[in-house]
Order: sequence, then structure tokens, then C-alpha cells
Amino acid sequence: MRRLPVYILVQTSGAMRGEPIEAIKVGLETMVSSLRQDPFALESVHLSVITFNRYPEQILPLTELENMQIPAIAQPTAAGTHLGEALEFMCKKIDSEVVLSTPERKGDWMPLLFVMCDGRASDSQLFQQIIPVVKQKHFGSIVACLVGHNPRKENVEQFAGSVVNMDTADSSTIRSFFKWVSASVSVGNRSVGAADEIILPPPPPEVHTIV
Amino acid sequence: METIKNYLKKTGMSADENQITDFLEANENEIKSFLADLWKDQVVKPAEEALPIEAAGEQPAAAASQPAAAVSEPAAAVSEQITAVSEQAAAVSEQAAAAEAPKISTEAPKDMAKFGAATPLHEEQRKQEVLQHQIKNRQITFPNGKINQPYEVDFDAEKLQMPEIAEILFENLEAIGLQYFPEEHKIKGVPTKSGDHKVEMKFKRKDWEVGKPLLSREVMFIINPDPRELWSKNIPTPEDVEYYKPDSDKAFLKVEPKTVKDGFLGLGKKEIPRKSMVAASQRGRSHAIEGKPRDDDFALHFDSQTEWYVMVVADGAGSANYSRKGSQVACQTAKEVCANQLAKEGFSDVLDCAIGEYAKDKSEKNRADLYRSLHSEILAKAAWAAKIGIEKEAAANRRAPKEYATTLLISICKKFDFGWFVGAFWVGDGGIGIYRKEPQRLKILGEPDGGEFAGQTRFLTMPEVFSDRVRTRFEVVEDFTAVVLMSDGVTDPKFETDANLNKIEKWNALWDDLNGHNEDNAKVSFLDSSEQSAAQLLRWLDFWSKGNHDDRTIAILF
Repeated sequence: MRRLPVYILVQTSGAMRGEPIEAIKVGLETMVSSLRQDPFALESVHLSVITFNRYPEQILPLTELENMQIPAIAQPTAAGTHLGEALEFMCKKIDSEVVLSTPERKGDWMPLLFVMCDGRASDSQLFQQIIPVVKQKHFGSIVACLVGHNPRKENVEQFAGSVVNMDTADSSTIRSFFKWVSASVSVGNRSVGAADEIILPPPPPEVHTIV
Repeated sequence: METIKNYLKKTGMSADENQITDFLEANENEIKSFLADLWKDQVVKPAEEALPIEAAGEQPAAAASQPAAAVSEPAAAVSEQITAVSEQAAAVSEQAAAAEAPKISTEAPKDMAKFGAATPLHEEQRKQEVLQHQIKNRQITFPNGKINQPYEVDFDAEKLQMPEIAEILFENLEAIGLQYFPEEHKIKGVPTKSGDHKVEMKFKRKDWEVGKPLLSREVMFIINPDPRELWSKNIPTPEDVEYYKPDSDKAFLKVEPKTVKDGFLGLGKKEIPRKSMVAASQRGRSHAIEGKPRDDDFALHFDSQTEWYVMVVADGAGSANYSRKGSQVACQTAKEVCANQLAKEGFSDVLDCAIGEYAKDKSEKNRADLYRSLHSEILAKAAWAAKIGIEKEAAANRRAPKEYATTLLISICKKFDFGWFVGAFWVGDGGIGIYRKEPQRLKILGEPDGGEFAGQTRFLTMPEVFSDRVRTRFEVVEDFTAVVLMSDGVTDPKFETDANLNKIEKWNALWDDLNGHNEDNAKVSFLDSSEQSAAQLLRWLDFWSKGNHDDRTIAILF
């Protein structure tokens, strides 16, 4: 049995307070529930959720879909968007959680990464240092989803294969984003292999592709 | 909800009503507890001001503005308070009942009892709300279940530490096939419905009486569907798809016994049985569920003149759009090149001679000589031709060759007086092995190309495969039970790791499996080699293995 590790990074600093964070939680639940209906996903997807503001926190360690329950995401209060620290934290998690192939052990599929943030990195120095590390992690695909007021794409463009923008971070847009994420995860499950990067299905119209 | 909608309509705000509705519904609990929290802060001060009101013994309206639910650890305080009240109004039966509620308030501030000189009815309402708030904020989760598989989980109401609650009921739990057994502290059953089920939990207070409302909250029971059921969808590939090929294929190539002169002066005749070949290829469930074509392919050939056997198996890359054609071109081309070379006048003799020399003396020189002609005159030649064939097909359609990416396994075998010669060329994953059951022998003719991550391998269309490693291998063995070529759709579930491919136990298990030791009782008869064995092999390929639903192809010389 090969696992498909899926990492979801969610910014939970003040900018995400209110509807965005609520919608993300509902979106995650809907996504997990629809992935359960996909036999590829049900047998292989392992999901991890990492939230970050000034500090990153893995609120869901890499868990198989079958036994997964999305934990509560606290309403953001803290200021500070340490995107660099969050990425560094995630890379460490990947090192310890993602299994590489050896002759004696069957490796995982290449992991997928989805980052939901406003594109700001208050720790810009660390952020710049961590980008090459992220690139070395061999993600099957990295998608950055920009939410919040006045999102900035310059930072996430540096590591994400595709960047999408949600003008309105309302619940229906976020839901359609997660629907797309689940479709992408399903596709990722099938086509990782010969291609260097997975060809994702087109995002929904509410979500604009930037890159 | 309605109020908010109406309000928005009145104010003429252009907000999308559906969005608001969705949001509010989705976040009902959070909003409620948030509001409750807000109220909490407001309540504390008025509580003291309420003292004179209590003294006055009237004015319930003032007390009504203080929602009891706002108190975060309130149960104790309230129950004590109610006791106090009930002394004043013993006649009210509701309060009398409430007085029996256990007092657990050791740390409760005594002065709390003084505030809120409400009517007994209001006190009751307050108590109810406090409990409701407590109940809502308790984290109650249940492990996920699986449809049609026994579910059992401990659920002890005592552990919720809510002394006011006498009994807990689950509403409609039976509808999903589960039941709560309070005496056993268990929820068990066999889930009958998959999905995310919201179940209403009802809490009965110790002082509950008929006609009074129960407290309640929702809990989630997640029941996973049966992957087998989800996988059972089998959509035939549309025949008008480009490069259509059937969703499964099978072949049996019977090689009749050889008649040789025997007996005194060669006057008699004797029949020497010869090995036959069988192969089958089955589209994987991952393709069947979407009506996508099979990417694997195979080809078999026997040269009756030279008695060479040729088997080819190719696995088209799942991520390449036209790999079904790539694998087909590879198999056909490789087979033809091998067949033509081996039939070429003189060549077979030269090769046989080199094999004979090597069998007699396995010296470095003999090995090198044999390798040279085997590699450059047949196997690498066939693989190279297959690669060129794919490139031509791609060019003719103005596509990149990698859109036709495929792996390739070739084996050529021949029986000699001294035993069997088996040569092989291997690009990609899957496997080629020579297996002998008695005595136990195993030779693997190469190594699977794998990467750090699952699904990464090398394909024939990659230029480096002709220079990166020794891909031509050969063995001379006394005899064998089977020479087997498999795509990774078979090796992944049956061998799991590359290391296991070299373990004879795994091959024993595979051979037993092929001979009917499996849950489907799918048996391939290798003894009375008949046409049937191809159909049997195809059926065998349908075996169930969690997470392994790739196309499966196997070719066996036996």
C-alpha cells in the first residue's frame, strides 16, 4: 500500500479572522468527506494540516483518510505571518513522516502541498532561505491559494507551481476551492510517475489562476 | 436565521442570501458559543447589582436579561442557587425536583446564590441553558467506522463528568446500524450506511420529568464506504478512443511435443514434451472505474525451426496519454526483431554455439562473447528498435515520445541438452524471474528501476536507459518450473518491495497462489497445458489487493 501524503498549510493570523477561517474549516471537512468517496483517495491519501501565525502548529499529523477527523481550527487572534517558519516546520515534518523507497520498503507517492495564506511573510529572511529547501522536497505539486485582503503573490510564486487567487474568501468560493483540491488530489494519485509535475485539473471559475 | 435574512432585506444589503445562510448554518455552534462568551463578560457585574432586586423579591424582567448560559463553569453555583430558591418556593414542583440535584459545588462562590432573584421558572431555564452550554462545549468524538464491518466503541456517560445528567440517548443511531448499550458502556453494531452522519445526542437530567425538554447536541459518526464497492464500477473503454485496445487480452501458445527417432538404430519414435507459454493482461480497476484504456501489453512467439521462445511484456506509463500505444508498439517491435534475428540463417547457430561454450566453461571470455552477441545482436537491438518504433509513431502524430512512455521486459529462452538458456532485457519496474519449485531455485534477471518515491521508474523512451546499467542478463539452468514476466501491477501486490523479488518464499507463495491457493479459488492449470489456462490466468489477475489497482500483465513459460 502506497500512501499519498497531502500537506495543507493554513495561515491563522489575524488577517484570516472571521469568515475565511470558518470557511476553510468547513471546506476541509467537505473535502475529506468527498475524498472518502473516491476509492483511490480512501486507500492512499494521508492528510496533514499545519496552521501558522507567529508559530506553526501541526494540528493534524499525517493521518490516513479512513481514520481522520478534522480538528477544530482556533479563531485567529495572533498577529504575525511567519510563512518561512511554517515552511521550515513543514519540511521537517516531511523528513520524518514521508517514507522514501528503499529495496526493503515501499515508498510513498510524491507529496502534494496546498498553502492557504495572504502571501505575506513577516520573516522574510528565513522565508528566502527556506525556498530552496522546499524545492528539494520533490512535491508532486505545490498550490498556493491566496486569500484575505490585498493578497500578495510575489512570495508564493517563488515556490508554488500554481498560484490561485480567491477574490472573495467566502464560504462558497472556499468550498469550490477544496472541491478542486480534492479533484487534484485524486488526479495526483493516478498520474504521479513519468511526469515531473502533476497536471492539475482546471480550477473552478471563482478561483483565478495567477501563474 | 430568518430574522437575519429579513434584516438584511430591510437594510437593502446586497449580500448573497445563500452565502449567509450557508455560513450561518455551517457555523451555528461556534456563533452560539461565541455569543455566549460575550454575554459572560457582561453578566458578572450586573450580578452584584442584582442583589437589591433579590431583596425586593420581584422584578423577574431584570434577571431575565442575564443569560445563565454565560457562566462558563456554572453548574455548581447554579444548582446551589436553585436549592436556595426552592426553599422559598417549595410549592413549585419543578423546583422541588431540582433541589434533589446533587450538590457538587465546593468551590462555588457563595454569593452567587444571591444573585438573580428570578422566578422558579426562570431559574429552571437558566439551569437548562448552563447545561446546554456545557454539553455543547464538551469534546465528544467517536472513531470512524467502516460499512458492513463490526463497530464497537466504549462510551461511558460517567466520563463526561456531568453529574446532573442521569441518562444519555442517541437518536437515530439505529438508522445507521449502531446501538448504544448504556449498561455495557458501549456503542456497537454493524454500520449499514456510509457517509458523515450527524447523530443527535439527548441528555436527560436527573430531575427530568415527562413533558420537559431534553438537552441535546449533535455528534458526528463517520462511516467509511467499502473500497471494494467503490472500485466495483467497470466502465468499458469507448471503442472510438484513439489507439483503442480491448480491456483485457490473453494468449496461450501451445508447443506440441517433439517427435524424435528412438530405439534400436533409430527405428522407433519417441515424443518429448515441450514447454508452452501462457499470458494474460487485465485492465486495472483504476482505469476501469473511469472507462480508461489498458496501458499494458504483451507478445509471445515460438520459432518452430530454432525452438526459441520469445516473451515480451510492456507497461505503459499511467501518466503518459498514449502509453497504451507505446506498450503495444514496444511489444510487437521487440517480438518481431527477436523472431527475425533468431530465424536469420546462421545466427541462431552462432548464438547456440556461444551458449554451448559458456555452458561447458563459464569463463570470463565465454561470458563476454555470449553477452556481446546476445546483447547487441538480439536483446538491445530489439529494445532499441522498439524505442525507434515509438519515436516514429510519436513523430507521425506530432507528439513527444514521452507521451508514449512504456517499460519493457523481454525474455528469450531455449532448451539445450545441458539445460535451459534464459536471456532477458529489462527496462523499468515489474520483474523477470526463473523459478524452480523442486529443488528450490530462483534467478532474477535484472533489477527493477525505482526512484525515491512510488511510481517513479525508467521508461524505454528515456535516452539513458541504453547506457546507465547492464540491462541484458542471462542464465543457464538445469530446468525450471516457470519463467515469469510481470508488470508492476502484479509485482507490487505480490512482492511489495524490490528486495522481496529475490526471496524464494515470495515466489513459492506466488506459485501456490497461481495454483489456486487464494481467496477467489482462481486456479491456473499448468499440468494439462490447454487453451483454458489463458482464461484461467486472466481470471486470476482479478485478485483483490488493497491499494493495488494498476493494469496487470503476466507471461509464463512453463
